[in-house]
Amino acid sequence: MAKKFRLAYTAAAVIPLSVLAAACGSNGNSPSSSGSSTPAASSAKMVGAALPSAPNSAAASVTETGSTLLYPLVSAWAADYQKQFTKVTITTGATGSGTGITDASTGTVNIGASDAYLSASERAANPTLLNIPLAISAQQVNYNVPGLKTGLKLDGKILAQIYSGKITKWNDSQIAALNPGVSLPGTTIVPLRRVDSSGDTFLFTSYLNAQDPSVWTSSDVGTSVSWPSVSGELAEQGNGGMVTGCSTTKGCIAYIGVSYETQTNADHLGQALLQNAAGNFVAPTASTIVAAASGMTSKTPPDETLSMINSPGAQSYPIINYEYAIVNTKQSDGVTAEDIRAFLVWDLTTGQSASKYLDAVNFQPLPAAVVTLSENQIKKIGA
Amino acid sequence: MASAPLARSVGEAVAPSPRRPAPMLRAVVRRADVVRWLGRTGAVIPLAALVFILVVLLIESLPAIRYNGLHFFTTTVWNEGVSYNALPVHSGGVYHMSGAAFGALPEIVGTLLTSLIALIVAVPVSIGAALTIVERLPRRLASLVGIFLELLAGIPSVIVGLFGALTFGPFIAHHITPVIARNVPDVPVLSFFRGQPGSGEGLLTSGLVLGIMIIPIIASTTRDLVRQVPILPREGAIALGMSDAQCARRVTLPWVGPGIVGAVVLGLGRALGETMAVAMTCGVALSTVPGNIYTTMTTIAATMFNYLDTAFLDGTGFAVRTIAELGLVLLVITMVVNIAARWLVRRVSGIALPVGRGV
Amino acid sequence: MSERAGGRPTGARVASGGHGASGRHGGASRSPEGMWPPVSRRRKAGNLVFWLLCALALALVIAPTLWLAVDIIGKAVGNWQWNVLVTRTDQLQGGLLQPLLGTLVIASGAILIASIVSILTGMYLSEYATGPLRSVLRGAYEVLAGIPSIVLGLVGYVTLVVGLHWGYGLLPAVLVLSVLAIPYITKATESSLAQVPTSYREGADALGLPPSWTMRRIVLKSAVPGIVTGVLIATAIIIGETAPLIYTSNFSDVNPSLAHVTHLAVPSLPYMVYYFSFLAQPIKHANILSADAALVLLVFVLVLILLGRVIVAWSRRHAE
Repeated sequence: MAKKFRLAYTAAAVIPLSVLAAACGSNGNSPSSSGSSTPAASSAKMVGAALPSAPNSAAASVTETGSTLLYPLVSAWAADYQKQFTKVTITTGATGSGTGITDASTGTVNIGASDAYLSASERAANPTLLNIPLAISAQQVNYNVPGLKTGLKLDGKILAQIYSGKITKWNDSQIAALNPGVSLPGTTIVPLRRVDSSGDTFLFTSYLNAQDPSVWTSSDVGTSVSWPSVSGELAEQGNGGMVTGCSTTKGCIAYIGVSYETQTNADHLGQALLQNAAGNFVAPTASTIVAAASGMTSKTPPDETLSMINSPGAQSYPIINYEYAIVNTKQSDGVTAEDIRAFLVWDLTTGQSASKYLDAVNFQPLPAAVVTLSENQIKKIGA
Repeated sequence: MASAPLARSVGEAVAPSPRRPAPMLRAVVRRADVVRWLGRTGAVIPLAALVFILVVLLIESLPAIRYNGLHFFTTTVWNEGVSYNALPVHSGGVYHMSGAAFGALPEIVGTLLTSLIALIVAVPVSIGAALTIVERLPRRLASLVGIFLELLAGIPSVIVGLFGALTFGPFIAHHITPVIARNVPDVPVLSFFRGQPGSGEGLLTSGLVLGIMIIPIIASTTRDLVRQVPILPREGAIALGMSDAQCARRVTLPWVGPGIVGAVVLGLGRALGETMAVAMTCGVALSTVPGNIYTTMTTIAATMFNYLDTAFLDGTGFAVRTIAELGLVLLVITMVVNIAARWLVRRVSGIALPVGRGV
Repeated sequence: MSERAGGRPTGARVASGGHGASGRHGGASRSPEGMWPPVSRRRKAGNLVFWLLCALALALVIAPTLWLAVDIIGKAVGNWQWNVLVTRTDQLQGGLLQPLLGTLVIASGAILIASIVSILTGMYLSEYATGPLRSVLRGAYEVLAGIPSIVLGLVGYVTLVVGLHWGYGLLPAVLVLSVLAIPYITKATESSLAQVPTSYREGADALGLPPSWTMRRIVLKSAVPGIVTGVLIATAIIIGETAPLIYTSNFSDVNPSLAHVTHLAVPSLPYMVYYFSFLAQPIKHANILSADAALVLLVFVLVLILLGRVIVAWSRRHAE
């Protein structure tokens, strides 16, 4: 019996170890092992600009996952695109920007959707990743304070102090100074922050840092930051969680993607006017967002990695951003690469229709010059 | 089961199957050894899976264990480092983002506190309910309640979480906790019950929701144990003049005491590892050790769920390794609790505890 | 204080208490009224308070569950339309078709794999294994049951999704959930085999039947209802598992396809309950879908567990 017992034990140890070894072994190989092949069949179609207006005739599927903000838009694009090109299957998923970037880099999906451009560590880890803007989004600051109507004026200095626990009451003298004539209640401020990694957190902290680097240092800028401890703080999952949390918490303040404006209005949350670089207080409307975007167009570098915070211009809204598709330049095969290029090009042309697609999520179309930059990047996607 | 080896030797003495002539394959399968070997192969799989899980987590989290060190258990900061304005660094052979620092004290304390609240709620309720079911309810009703407990055990935790986050949490935050928070005196221990009652996401809600979830394990196990208490000692107690309440307290419960302890520890194991229900109701404060019973907090499992997407944004992969380290800590805690419960019960009362959620 | 008095009602109680054999002879111990001195009030009150507390405890078990059920069902029933079951999910609206299919495929796959492994394990442990080997193997699956599902999900992610480059998909989800199901089915198999009366085996031996024949035709056959019940309960448990799915099947809007068991994220009902809920999406039609998905899951669990009960009851009736 003892012998058999030992045998079983050995098997129990050896089986998992060998599986593990296999797992680790394949872990070491990068997914680019098929990268050296030259584009053959697809090259004929890529004469001139490598920008197909239709996918490859072979049936193929393109997968997308990532940002929850982009999910409704990409799903709508995918649905119409598949109606037009029935050979292509495009699957979309909503899992968060972090998952989108990781999955795009590991080859788990073809397109990762992200609200933020790639960070230094991601670039270092995955030099073959591109971030390609698809649309322009903005971020609103909301609050739920009984007796306080929408349109409270706030700036980055005050927000930074609220989020670092230095301003704790809604009737703080600094808030009062910006809002003469508004009667402010003495409610305690409950700052809401995101627990998940999020382009929204990145945008918001960038704004705080841009407006007052002394209170909000650059090391506290990121898709998830270690927030200073504030009593009563609440952390929420996703933009949805922020809306939910804010509408159920009196005295809260929250930063929420502008896609959720319909919901924040429906929940009667106040929307703040934010101070821009020119010193004016503006609301996130189509015109202020477009004004901010046009102020940033000429500054956009070829790799389109750009913070769009505090755009110049009297009527520019200060917190806007590009919504990105994260794509690996090395796809598994030429057909897939071609289909990805075709889908992205379609998104940047047909997909930019405001009334058909973008309005539903309160996004704004990309300026023409940025579309050109994006198309130049799309050309790099190969196999 | 002593008949099994005996049966085999007898069976082999008698030649092949009496009736139907069988094809070759059948004849092979029919040989007891094949069944036996297939069985053994199958039986090794759970053990292999267990070892595999341990080894994988250990290998995956080694760099995190090395970098985080013992501070992992004593500090409260939870920060994967600067992602945008600085490049990742190597330190001590571990590649991570600059400024990365992880301390799981809030997670560990949160896990223990929610489970403690769950036990405080669930243990008396379960034992009382089990006694009522066995000693007071007519048999029909008792079996109906039994089905009810099974259903409660089967309710997916995401649904319990939904209920906790959208209905139960807000309800207690609006109607119950404000009263308690205002009226509890400010003395040690009780001051833990003072403070901002919050929005219903936090320690209390998570603990209570966990309590609901572990009741079926403790209640149904206790019920089965109480049913097995022999009639003689209880009749004896009554003959000695005990009331039935005294009999239940002094004879029945002590009789099954070790078994109940085992069931409670098993429930504890489940509470420690529960993910969705807590992730949805805890408020997810990754670096807060709860200061009062209403504050938002987190547990190991809830952090593993909620923090995953953030961890993916760490291009160095270090944050995911830290999640693996969290997983390893949770695994070790739950395994110790589980093994202890089973060892205790087998040792003392010879019955086997139910597995998993106790259905 | 008359210590004995309280015993009277207890004697009757124990006698009529709901446990089979002991109930019968209790009648004899019942004593005629009036034989005992009067019961002290304090004693009566103590007894009453104890049992009231116990009844309250039972109420505390039942009330929150009922509240939960009413809450979840109430949210769904108001907007319930039967066609959500066959309508595709379209962005954040539409129906439940893809998640429903996803859940069914993932659960069936996991249960299939788990059943094979578990029945072999249970059979081996109950019929063949002895001594320390048996306790080690049994301890292994019992401890396996206590491992938090999120940890299993993480291990699945590290090894299958990333390590083997499978990506998100059916296969990693099926494998991880099958590990979750194994302990339940193994336990059920082991204990139903143990409950097969020794006389059956001895009878078969006495008739000179080969042991493998006995195993298949007699022992396994009488254990089948118990095993099936175990399978049903395991299904009920894994069908609602959410945490491991985020690491393994993830979420998308496609139908599950057996041609793409890897590299294709698959939607599922539990993930939808979470992801479409008010917590994550403050959008009314998404929340309705979340509530619908929760209701469908609850009905699944209810049906599976009740079915298990029915099978147990039926087999008991037909056992003799």
